[in-house]
Amino acid sequence: MQSESAKPRSTSLSFFQTPIGQFTARNWAMLFLIIMIVIFSFTGSGFFDIANFQNIIHLSTGTFLLAAAETLVVTTGGIDLSIGYVYGLSSVLGAKVMQVLSNSNLSLAWVVVIGSAVALCVAILPGLGNGILVTRFNVPPFIATMGMWGICNGVTLFFSDGFMPVMGAPSIINDIGNSYFLYIDPSHNLRFFSKPPSIRISEIRMLIRLVPNSFFLSLLVFIVLNFILGRTRFGRHTYAIGGNKDAALRSGINVNRHLTMIYMLSSVISGLAGLFNLFQTGIGNYTPSGASYELMAVAAVVIGGASLTGGKGRLFGTVIGVLVLAILENGLQIAGISAFYRYIGVGVLLTIAVIIDRAFPDLF
Amino acid sequence: MVQTTKNNKLSIPEMLGKNWIALFLVVLVIVFSLLAPAFFSIDTLQLIFFNGTEVFLLGAAELFVIITGGIDLSVGFIMGFSTIMCSKLIVMFQGFGLSAFASILAGSLFMLAIGLLPGLVNGWLVAYLRVPAFIATFSMLGITHGISELMTQGVPTKNLPSLAGVIGNGSFLYISPDSEIHFFARPQVPRGQIVVSILPNMAVFAFIFILMFSFLLSKTKFGRHLYAIGGNIDAAIRSGIDVKKDLLKAYMISSFFASLAGISYVMKYITGKPDAGADLLLDSIAAVVIGGASMAGGSGTMGRTILGALVIAVVQTGLRIVGMQTFMTYILVGSILIITVILDQVFPNFNR
Repeated sequence: MQSESAKPRSTSLSFFQTPIGQFTARNWAMLFLIIMIVIFSFTGSGFFDIANFQNIIHLSTGTFLLAAAETLVVTTGGIDLSIGYVYGLSSVLGAKVMQVLSNSNLSLAWVVVIGSAVALCVAILPGLGNGILVTRFNVPPFIATMGMWGICNGVTLFFSDGFMPVMGAPSIINDIGNSYFLYIDPSHNLRFFSKPPSIRISEIRMLIRLVPNSFFLSLLVFIVLNFILGRTRFGRHTYAIGGNKDAALRSGINVNRHLTMIYMLSSVISGLAGLFNLFQTGIGNYTPSGASYELMAVAAVVIGGASLTGGKGRLFGTVIGVLVLAILENGLQIAGISAFYRYIGVGVLLTIAVIIDRAFPDLF
Repeated sequence: MVQTTKNNKLSIPEMLGKNWIALFLVVLVIVFSLLAPAFFSIDTLQLIFFNGTEVFLLGAAELFVIITGGIDLSVGFIMGFSTIMCSKLIVMFQGFGLSAFASILAGSLFMLAIGLLPGLVNGWLVAYLRVPAFIATFSMLGITHGISELMTQGVPTKNLPSLAGVIGNGSFLYISPDSEIHFFARPQVPRGQIVVSILPNMAVFAFIFILMFSFLLSKTKFGRHLYAIGGNIDAAIRSGIDVKKDLLKAYMISSFFASLAGISYVMKYITGKPDAGADLLLDSIAAVVIGGASMAGGSGTMGRTILGALVIAVVQTGLRIVGMQTFMTYILVGSILIITVILDQVFPNFNR
């Protein structure tokens, strides 16, 4: 197909040669996001509302973390299909450990900390496996991570006794996962991190909640990864490997070690996403078949402007991609349109993203 | 690809190495037979083919695309879409006053025609708009998933004629206790007597199509072109192959097989649901890769893909008979997939 990519540009492209046109093509996802927000503000009451926007951010935390993990791998030119099931594994395993420990006489804080630590540590393993398979055994990333998908799914179902969510984790995790940074009650008293204890049921709708805790998690991951990708040698090497692996090898980058670390990082971040899912719902959820979390993450990354051939991809673009998916879902629901249209929407958007990427390869 | 080795005589270890996946299948059968003596029987063999029908069909679907160097992520949800569309069509035709058999036949035939559409779009995106196969077929996954959910609104389809179940769960051949042979219809026998049933209908139906398309792949110019495209697309273009048209056809065949799998599901379970084939994506790609095809394209045969699908079907049914839980299936299929590719890397001339 490469030989045909040198098709002569037709004259109709002249709009895209103007600065405005170039800006449009480069930031189409962001423009689309803004247009979507404007349209949904008219189609459903309650969409354009600070509470709803916080809700969107809160609910898309898991997707964002998975997409951030996928961004790392896609930037190196690989793909990680196992993240959706590492997500389930971490959620179920964390819940299982907490369930077991809460029967012992450990303090609640230790139960939560040990449970989370175990889940995160175990989440490194699939990444390590992927990395070794991809670098030492030259297994294509698609196959290696797909095999790991099966293995993680099996292990998850083992811990969850076959399609049973794991209950019995301490209920405090729910409070941590779902509370907000700041609460303002009707008489304008402030409270941090927990609901005012004396609030009456009748007043609870008047309570103003600001900045969900999950936002800090997303922000932290965004800042750290953005720093790593944009400012450190590790990040430059990541882009170098994605851009041209042979050149990276010849310029003395330890490509094998680097790729292994990327897959491990991706796996840990997906584990973090799974752990967040546990904190959000209070139960360990296995990944249902057909959930396609990993594919949604790839969709967010590609809509955000990354290329599956590697070397290109910004975390900020991924944020836009995640928001496009989240707002599409939320806006459709609030407008009273069946949320199932979002699957179709994602499909169409993804194709548009790639066609734009193909039409203007030199722009991004 | 295959002919190159024909001239040289192979030593026995080489023969074994080349067919290690068949050896592995034999080992698998022996292990299961030792664990559960009931495993080694003609009934189990038929059960394997009955349970594995969808894996065979989706493996064949994936093969056509993987040979061209592409990937089709949408097969599972095209199958789901097909289960719904097919059952809705059958119910609709019944509403027109057609007999149960006629409406099943008409519904299935219409479904096969509709089933070409997702593949047409996939192929058009991949071949004419140069969208990477991964993205194009993933978009189709989303679109077919969305349409299926919209069509069912969360409720599996129902009201199918019971004849569908009779066809789907029936066998081609029945042998009654007094050695009479009946085709399709199960003979009435007194209680306690055993009717031997041979060749589950759906597996026969699947293998008729698989054989037809296997011929298409190995014996026609179109099949050779697919290998050429997967091997080196630039060379294929320069040698005058109409690459775009052939790619389009490959994706349409893939989608066609996925809708066949959907029809088979409807007949077997008398219902349709959007996620009917959701977790078969792993199985279908695994079948092709275990069968020795390279994800880079240009290799893979139908026979070996069926062998790969058979390994998966034996693992699935065998574990159930041995009494292991489902989770082991996922772990085993994932591990076999990885081990196959590692062995291919270590011994590049094997399993081809």
